[in-house]
Amino acid sequence: MLKIIIPSLMLLPLTWLSSNKNVWINVTAHSFLINTLAMATLWQMNETGMGLSQTFYIDPLSSSLIMLVIWLLPLMLLASQNHIKKETDYNKKLYISMLIILQTLLIPTFSANELMLFYILFEATLIPTLVIITRWGNQTERLSAGLYFLFYTLVGSIPLLIALISINSSLGSLNTLLLTLSNYMLNQSWSNHILWLACMMAFMIKMPLYGVHLWLPKAHVEAPIAGSMILAAILLKLGGYGMMRLSVILDPLTKSMAYPFIMLSLWGMIMTSSICLRQTDLKSLIAYSSVSHMALVIAAIMIQTPWSFMGASALMIAHGLTSSLLFCLANTNYERIHSRTMIMARGLQTAFPLMALFWFLGSLTNLALPPSINLIGELLISISLFSWSNFTILLVGTNILITALYSLYMLITTQRGTLTPHMINLQPSHTRELTLMMLHITPLSLLMINPKFIMGNTL
Amino acid sequence: MADSKYKPAPLATLPSTLNPAKYDLSLETRKAQIERLSIRARLKLEYLLQYNDPKRQMHIEDAALIHWAYARSTNIYPNFRPTPKNSLLGVVAAFGPLIFWYYVFKTDRDRKENLIQEGKLDRTFKLSY
Repeated sequence: MLKIIIPSLMLLPLTWLSSNKNVWINVTAHSFLINTLAMATLWQMNETGMGLSQTFYIDPLSSSLIMLVIWLLPLMLLASQNHIKKETDYNKKLYISMLIILQTLLIPTFSANELMLFYILFEATLIPTLVIITRWGNQTERLSAGLYFLFYTLVGSIPLLIALISINSSLGSLNTLLLTLSNYMLNQSWSNHILWLACMMAFMIKMPLYGVHLWLPKAHVEAPIAGSMILAAILLKLGGYGMMRLSVILDPLTKSMAYPFIMLSLWGMIMTSSICLRQTDLKSLIAYSSVSHMALVIAAIMIQTPWSFMGASALMIAHGLTSSLLFCLANTNYERIHSRTMIMARGLQTAFPLMALFWFLGSLTNLALPPSINLIGELLISISLFSWSNFTILLVGTNILITALYSLYMLITTQRGTLTPHMINLQPSHTRELTLMMLHITPLSLLMINPKFIMGNTL
Repeated sequence: MADSKYKPAPLATLPSTLNPAKYDLSLETRKAQIERLSIRARLKLEYLLQYNDPKRQMHIEDAALIHWAYARSTNIYPNFRPTPKNSLLGVVAAFGPLIFWYYVFKTDRDRKENLIQEGKLDRTFKLSY
């Protein structure tokens, strides 16, 4: 594990000591090299996972998420080159350092053996993200977006800290492996209900659950492109990952306590998808679509069946790549017209045919077209929800329909039709941008062939 | 022709060109039409001036589009005033479906659980869940 963490940490001196014209290429190339090291963790040979040391443990659930984190850093760097180029060199290096610190904190988060270590790193990832959103966002609303982001997450996670400390004192250890073997049964009592809520609320807010999702559209819209990418792709999945890890100690109370959250997820799925149909802001549409997909993941984790966990892990990875791709595409729009309004730049298929291909593929994977991995995730979750209760098919089916509607709406509004006549300043697609999209699409396509890497630990 | 064969339908209203009353308008409607047309013509002139300007480097900024996008996204809450009717509507729309679906799922699952405990539910082929 150190062979992944120490190179990631060493990217920091690399940024600060590189000469100004070599910073981007150095950091991007070296972060790609770290990817080759991390791919070895995907080789999960047995169901017990890789117990690497006393602090780090990678099981098939963590390995796909760690791979996503490490894959995303060079992509974030590629995406940020344009909007950062006007800043001073010191600011450029500071921005890159924030991204590197975020990755260095996220890798141990997903491989932490102890839940307390996981919690500390979970909280620590908030700081670089807050700095990225509030310092390098584009509109004045970024300040309130940062506040919402920080305080929504903190309100949930302080009770989590107290819950973890109390479980530690009663069980003796918070080791994730030992917890699976312990006999910690939560009986029906008021304090156990509050303990369940305290454990789960932090991750529900992070995912986000429909009732407490208000921070997400603000944070995603106001963040710069790398901030949006890391938020949509990884930080939301921290919630799912935490819920999956903690659910081993929260039985059997989950059977009764999960109902309100399953209701909120199922209804919230439809509500947020419907809001997507009425959005005028492109990034806001993609942000609400993230809420909708993650509501499926929450519902799947709450019902705790093998297939639903497989679907949840698959959907987390698939959605991470797809959402990040859509945000990058929206950013290519924004860099040209400096506005996020969808109807301002229409008919882009005529102007940017190759980028239109990536818009097309991104929208298709967003609406969970077979045989993409998004479909695998959504299908497994739908089937397991159907076996939980037959009536969920009404809600999940409606959501699949509305997801298809807004994905195609976004595609048709931006790509099809006649080009807006007065848009004469549209620079052609940079090779960097096309590379970025290709690097998103390649894992999405290759994982279609062998999705067992992303199916999580109940495979 | 004064007697056109075109009859208006609920979803297909009579176009103004087929309406014989188009030329018998009152003075106020005519004045309002002239005012709207003059605003449109002024905006169109500004647009065309910018559109055909050979030194233009960027797209034409439409203030109306920016105001519309702002009004739809950020300016909703400042123009909202809570009244009993819309507070009640908000509570019903927010919590009503949740409570409804909670009862649907709870009764369905309890019914299934009772069938299972009585042994009446056929789960022979239920291999994957």
